[in-house]
Amino acid sequence: MGILRISELEKHNEHTVVFPAFNLEVSEREVVAIHASTNVRTTLLNIIMGGASASNGVVYINNETIEKSRGTFLAKIGGFFLQDGLYERLSVKEHLSFYQSIYGSTLAVDEVIRMVQLEGKRNQRVGKLSFSEQRRIHFSRLLFQNPDFLIFEEPDQNIDLETKRIFLKLVRAIKEKGKAMLVLTGNMESALAITDTVYRLDDKGFHTLDIRAEDNEKDLAEEKSKDELGNDEVIVQPVRFEKIPTKVNEKIVLFDPPEIDYIESSDGQSLIFIKGESYPCMFTMTDLEIRLHPYGFFRCHRSYIVNLQKVREVVTWTRNSFTLVLTDDKKSSIPLSKTKMAELKGMLGLK
Amino acid sequence: MTFSMKRLLAIFNKDYKDLTRNLYVSFTLLVPLVLAAVFGRQGIDSIDLYYMVFNMALCLVAAYIQCSLIAEEKEKNTLRGLMLSPASTMEILVGKGLLSFVTTILVIGISAYFLGYMPENLLIVSLGIILSTVFYIALGTALGLVTRSVMEASVIIMPFVFIFSFGTSLSVLAEKYPILQAADYLPNSQLIMIAKEVEMGTGLAELWSHFGIIGLWVIGMALITMVIYRKRMVD
Repeated sequence: MGILRISELEKHNEHTVVFPAFNLEVSEREVVAIHASTNVRTTLLNIIMGGASASNGVVYINNETIEKSRGTFLAKIGGFFLQDGLYERLSVKEHLSFYQSIYGSTLAVDEVIRMVQLEGKRNQRVGKLSFSEQRRIHFSRLLFQNPDFLIFEEPDQNIDLETKRIFLKLVRAIKEKGKAMLVLTGNMESALAITDTVYRLDDKGFHTLDIRAEDNEKDLAEEKSKDELGNDEVIVQPVRFEKIPTKVNEKIVLFDPPEIDYIESSDGQSLIFIKGESYPCMFTMTDLEIRLHPYGFFRCHRSYIVNLQKVREVVTWTRNSFTLVLTDDKKSSIPLSKTKMAELKGMLGLK
Repeated sequence: MTFSMKRLLAIFNKDYKDLTRNLYVSFTLLVPLVLAAVFGRQGIDSIDLYYMVFNMALCLVAAYIQCSLIAEEKEKNTLRGLMLSPASTMEILVGKGLLSFVTTILVIGISAYFLGYMPENLLIVSLGIILSTVFYIALGTALGLVTRSVMEASVIIMPFVFIFSFGTSLSVLAEKYPILQAADYLPNSQLIMIAKEVEMGTGLAELWSHFGIIGLWVIGMALITMVIYRKRMVD
């Protein structure tokens, strides 16, 4: 039986559908991510936390609804929200002691300070910490609270790599304790870094984002058939076409492959990212992979093709979870799937 | 959800540390103290003046600190986290009220020392001051629930400072404008009457009407606070 159970939940706003009815169950030791737009995310959060009512459907936590007892329902949820504030004038240690006594936790304050790696700043005022460090304090609250169900809103938005590493490590530890977690994010990369179970929720519905390893093989088969097709085209076309066409406001814009940072697939549409802007491309991911392979592009994930010339770092979170960090201004990070890691190592000559 | 002393003290402790580092708010503590020191040096010996300082202390310390403690939680988005914690709203408000209460009593005590004020019957006067403090804390809580930021809190407290600390001089004008006689029933005027009668050696038994009026104010204010709380804290 799942800790969180969402049954036929839907929300309409006047005449527009925010999201249609969907079902979701999150059990113990399970981490589920929902990739959604800001509007859908805040609406869903508000419904779960009792701030807004749904048009239809119910949210259960341990088989209880919010109607029965608001206090006990909300006490079971550990929230990690973007809007949360901190007592800026308290020192890190005082702040954590406050959390400890308010939640009546037996966890030692020093232990938690070590877990979120703020040892060097224990006597510094919270207001003087960086944003990433403040997020770690938010996270420490969840450790003291120790709820059965945790909900994260954009957990790694604007945080540094060190904080993300701490965050992922703690999420794994919490998962081992048999808790259920739900991550709401608008960033596919952060969803994939945390879990393999990712759904997409929008006004069209609730879809599973299939990222299991078997699919890669199916994909490979598809690629092969497409490969042959591609070869045929080359024979028909005497001049080799080297530019990648994209569509911008009914115009067709052509880009040189080396300009491209990476390509993301979103709802079956491939988006080409160049200097932080995205352009929809007419080709499928498989087509693009074939066309761009000679230019040093690499299919690092089912939904991503990356320009290897632009990769600066390969970050390893765990043995099975990797992220590529690019050299562009935004330092974009892109997921790298487990199966592709071996291939990449081969390409880099790191057998 | 049971009432927990541990959580209450945690909130008290947190707010105490926060307050001592918050110069904008703790600066107001100095106003009655400086005023008391100045009057004390001048050798002024009048109950009215003493109580102007005390009433100002009640307003600026009890009401204002309580109000800004609540308003700041809202301003910094920390109230939601606190409401979602096991601490009940009662514990949150009482924890804050306790801090305002202790600070007020300290400020009034030190002011009285500076002014050289020693009432004939310390017990009765203390009782009056404690009862008034409860009223002002209830007032501060009500205002804190209405305001959204410390800035708003410091503006909204101003009319109350005028009414309750200088309001006593209104009764002088009462002969000209009979409507101002109502000012005699304000809690600050009642406190002064208690103090004056104590100086004349009146006992507790004859003062019950003044205590009764202040008590009514406390009950009234508490009811208003409850109504505002019901309305505001639903979300």
